[in-house]
Amino acid sequence: MGKSKAGLLQGTLDMLILKALSLGALHGYGIGQRIAQISGDELKVEEGSLYPGLYRLERRGWIESEWDVSDNNQRAKFYKLTRAGRKQLTVEELNWERLAGATRKALRAV
Amino acid sequence: MSWVTSIVRFIHAWRHPDEVAREVEAELRFHIEMRARANIEGGMRPDEAQRAALKSFGDFEQVKTSCCEISRSLLFDSRVLKMGMYIAIAALAGGAALWAVNIPHHSFTGVLWQLVAIAVLARAFIVGRRPIATGRTFRNKILLRDVGEERTVSIASHDEQGRTPVERMFGSE
Repeated sequence: MGKSKAGLLQGTLDMLILKALSLGALHGYGIGQRIAQISGDELKVEEGSLYPGLYRLERRGWIESEWDVSDNNQRAKFYKLTRAGRKQLTVEELNWERLAGATRKALRAV
Repeated sequence: MSWVTSIVRFIHAWRHPDEVAREVEAELRFHIEMRARANIEGGMRPDEAQRAALKSFGDFEQVKTSCCEISRSLLFDSRVLKMGMYIAIAALAGGAALWAVNIPHHSFTGVLWQLVAIAVLARAFIVGRRPIATGRTFRNKILLRDVGEERTVSIASHDEQGRTPVERMFGSE
């Protein structure tokens, strides 16, 4: 199957950000890279849309941020998952499994 | 993030909008710079890499504005806050009305207070009805969040080829 530009359900980006951060603290650019990496380059986050998503998640208390120095000695804002965010990730994963399973079932129905 | 931290940040964002905007801009510029570096490593010329990085980022000003607006928004749904205010107003109005009704009404002042009480009760009734409508929003927003409007609408939307997002995700080319 060739790669196509996949459209994602809204809310999926939040889950992917939480998942990426569950593996360690990252700056925004790194989050996009990690999502691409863990999805085997199948998922590409629209760069601009990542940041409002990050700010929303931070406002909800699922992630928190602080300014630090990046690998290339530049000042960057790093995000990390909070305890509430970890719980939310579990909820999102369960919901996603349910949705994916139900949709697959519906699409295969004759 | 605790409620206290959230409120402190909210107040800070309102008091120092320029500082928040500068931080957002610095963050977004860092992203573009990282992308440009990656483009250069991928073989692009610096100017070309910068242009490509800006293009792939999308509307910089729009993203910056969105981030600043989110920083200035409250942690909780403002409609929930309004609902609380309406309940408080209705309770105060009801209390004031009850107090006024108990005033002896054989004097002009007593009658006047009773008229005021009727007006306050009528107003409290009108205002008090709003939490019912807002309460539904509260239920949809908080209790039924997993099946929120955004996702439902998204599932039903189609792309140029008439495919739903689900078909795009699960379907093969």
